[in-house]
Amino acid sequence: MPHLDPQQRALAINKLLSLGQLDLLRNSSGLLYRMKDGQGASKMKGSDNQEKLVYQVIEAQETKKPLRESCVWIWSRDIRFKSNLPLTEVNKILKNLESKKLIKAVKSVAASKKKVYMLYNIQPDRSVTGGAWYSDQDFESEFVEVLNQQCFKFLQSKVDLSMDDIETILNTLIYDGKVELTVIAAKEGTVGSVDGQMKLYRGVNAVLLPTGMVRTPCGLCPVFDDCQEGGEISPSNCIYMTEWLDF
Amino acid sequence: MTAQEVRLCGLLLQEHFGEMVEKVGTHLLKSGAQNLRMILHETGISLDLLKKSLCVLVQHGACVFSSGRKGPGSPTEYRTSCDRILRILRYPRYIYTAKTLYGDTGELIIEELLQRGHMTMSSTVKTVADRLTQNMEDGRSMDYNDVSNSFSNLVETHFLQRCPPPPRAGPKESATPAPHPVPGTPTPLISTALPTAESFPDCYKVPHVTLTGRGKRPLSSEDVDDQRNSKKAKMDSETHGDEGICWQVNFERFHLHFRDQAIISAVANKLDQTSSEIVRTMLRMSEVTTSPSATCTKPLSANEIFRSLPTNYNIARPILDQYLTLLVDDPMEFVGKAGESGGGMYVVNMHRALANLARATLESVVQERFGSRSARIFRLLLRKRHLEQKQVEDFAMIPAKEAKDMLYSLLSQNLVQLQEVPKTPDYAPSRTFYLYTVNQLPTARMLLQNCYKTVANLIERRLYESKESKRLLEKSQRIEAILASLQASGAEPEQLTEVEEMITAPEKQQLDALRLHINKLDSAENQVDETIFLIESYVNSTKTTS
Repeated sequence: MPHLDPQQRALAINKLLSLGQLDLLRNSSGLLYRMKDGQGASKMKGSDNQEKLVYQVIEAQETKKPLRESCVWIWSRDIRFKSNLPLTEVNKILKNLESKKLIKAVKSVAASKKKVYMLYNIQPDRSVTGGAWYSDQDFESEFVEVLNQQCFKFLQSKVDLSMDDIETILNTLIYDGKVELTVIAAKEGTVGSVDGQMKLYRGVNAVLLPTGMVRTPCGLCPVFDDCQEGGEISPSNCIYMTEWLDF
Repeated sequence: MTAQEVRLCGLLLQEHFGEMVEKVGTHLLKSGAQNLRMILHETGISLDLLKKSLCVLVQHGACVFSSGRKGPGSPTEYRTSCDRILRILRYPRYIYTAKTLYGDTGELIIEELLQRGHMTMSSTVKTVADRLTQNMEDGRSMDYNDVSNSFSNLVETHFLQRCPPPPRAGPKESATPAPHPVPGTPTPLISTALPTAESFPDCYKVPHVTLTGRGKRPLSSEDVDDQRNSKKAKMDSETHGDEGICWQVNFERFHLHFRDQAIISAVANKLDQTSSEIVRTMLRMSEVTTSPSATCTKPLSANEIFRSLPTNYNIARPILDQYLTLLVDDPMEFVGKAGESGGGMYVVNMHRALANLARATLESVVQERFGSRSARIFRLLLRKRHLEQKQVEDFAMIPAKEAKDMLYSLLSQNLVQLQEVPKTPDYAPSRTFYLYTVNQLPTARMLLQNCYKTVANLIERRLYESKESKRLLEKSQRIEAILASLQASGAEPEQLTEVEEMITAPEKQQLDALRLHINKLDSAENQVDETIFLIESYVNSTKTTS
C-alpha cells in the first residue's frame, strides 16, 4: 500500500488488529499481515488482546495436528509459558474463553489432576480420554465386566467366531482361562482376516477342578506363614479350622 | 530335606510306628548317614530299642544300610530319605487303586504288604486268604490259588516287585523282619550306589510256589492252646519253595498309574469322553514300553490305536483321525504328531502334560486365594513372561489402582517376581525398567513346601482333637467293650439298654461331631496329597530333562 505513509499504515494496522480483523505474523523477511475471515473475527469480538493471545496459543496446537496426532491439547502451564502471562491472568482468561465456548477443558486420564485445553470443536483423542473404556475419566470396570460375561456367554454357544473390535476383551477372557485362541490361515478378503490369518475363539472348560490344597483352610489362610505348633497361631487353636470343621 | 518335610515325616512315623521309631527316624533325617554308635550316642536311646527301631525302618524300606565311608572294615552306616516316608501319606490311594483294578483280593494283598513292608509270597497269600475267609459266610473259605493268581497278576503288571537282596553276603532273609546287621562284621566291598529293585533281572519273576489249601477262620478260645503248639510245628515244617524271596510294593508303578489317570481326566474335562478314551488306550498300549522318566511315549500309529480301542467304542476310522487331529491341535499339547507312517504316528507328551497340569494347579491356588482378577493377572504373566506395570493394566483391563494392589500382594507372597532391567549402569530407579514375571518351577517348589506344611497342620489338628476328647473316647470304648461281652455271654435287652444309657445324649453328640471332624481332616489330607503328587511329578520331570 504505497500511497499511505508509514505512520498512517501503522495506525490503521493497529486498529484492525485491535478489532481482530487482522492477523499479525512474522516471517524471515519481516512482518506479514493477513486478513482474518469474517467468522474468525466475530468469534473474538469483545475479547481483549490477552484473550486473543491465549486463544491463538491453543489454536496453534491444532495446526500441529497433522504432525503429531495425539497432541492437539495443551496444559495450562504450557499456555502460561507460551504467552508469558501471569498465572492468575491466564486462569481468568481461560475461564472467560470457556464460558464463550471457544475452548474446552478435558480432564486427562493419565494425570487426573491436570486439565487439558483444546478448541471447542475438536474431539479429544484416545490417549487423553482412554478410548471406549473410559467415560468421564473413570475406568468403566462395570462395563468391562458386563462385556466380559456377555462375550463369554456368546462364545459358549457359538463355535467359531472372529471379532475385531472386542479383541482386547477377548484377550482378558483368555487370561481368565475361559476362552482359547487359535490362529488359522485364511484367504485374504475373508471377513476378519488380517495378513492372511484369522483369529478364532472358542469357549473351553477348565482343565482341572480346584485343586486339593485349596479345599483346606490352610490353602487360603492369610496367616499361613505365621502358623507354628506351640505358637500364638497354631493348628490346635486355629479358628479357621474350627469353623471349617463345624461347617 | 526341608524343615517342613522333616516335620511331616516325624508326624507320619509317630502315627504309624510309635515314638521311638520317630525319634530315630527324625534324627537320621536331620543328620544324614551315621553308624550305630553315633546314633546311640546322640539320641540317648537304649541299644536294644535302637536296634528294634532300625529294624522297623529297614523292614519298611525307609532306612538303607551300607558299609561305612572309610572302607570295608568300618561300621555300617544307616541313612533315611524323606521320599520313602512321605509315601506313607499315599497308602490309602494305593490300596484304593488296587481295589479298583484287582478287586478285594488285590486290595488286601497290597494292604498287607504296605503294613508289613516286606513279605514272602506264601505268607502273604496265607494271611490274605485268612482275612478274606473271615468276612465270608459260614462254611465258605478262600482258596489259596485264587489269591496266588491275584498275586501273580499284580507282579505281571509290575505293581509288586522283589526286594533287592541286601548288600552283603550275610545270613539269608526269612519271612520275619530282616536281621539287623551287627556293626563291626567285615563286609565285602560294594559300590557306593545301592542297587535298586529293578536292577535285578528276576525282580518281576514269580517263584514257583507250592501252595495248596484254603483260608482258615480264627479259632475260638478253647482250641487256641492246643492249636498253637501244633500250628507252630506245622509252620516250621511247611516250606513252599520261596524262602528268602521277599516282595514289596512298587511305588513307582503306582505313580505312573496315577499320572496316567490325571492326564486322562484332564483330557476328559477339557474335551470329551471319547478323546479321553483314546488317550487312555494310547497310554495303556505304552505302559510297559515307555520308561518312567520318558518325555513322551513311543510313537503309536493310528492303525494300532484303532485296533486297540475298546470294543464298546464303535467309532469309525475317519472319526478317530479327526479326534486325533483335534487332540494334536489343542493348546494343552497332550498329544503330539511324530510322523506320517501307518496313518499318522502319535505320541502322548508326558512332560508337557505334567507341566500344564502343574500350571493349572498354580492358577487354581492363586484364584482361590486372591480372587479371579488376580488370577487373570497371574495367567497373563505366565503367558507373556515379562511385563511392565502399565502393560499389565492394559492387557488385563483392570483399573490401575487395583492392579497395583493385586500385583503387590502377589509379590509379597512371592508368587510373582520383579526383574530389573537397567537402562544405565547405575541402576537409577527412574532409568530402570521394572518387569513383573512368574517363574513356574520355583513357584511350584514353594507351593509343594506349603502343601507339606498343610498336611502336617491337618495331622496335628487331628491329634489335638483326639487328645481333647480322650476321656470321652476312652469311656465310649469301655462301654462298647462291656456291651460286646454282655452280648457274647447272652444278656437281657434291659441290661444292654442300661449300659448304652451310660453315655448321655450330649456326649453322644460330641462323639458324633468328633468322628465327623476326624473324617473331614483325614479326607482333607488325601486331597492335599493329590496336589502334592501332581507337583512332585512335575518337579521330578524337570529334573530329568534339565
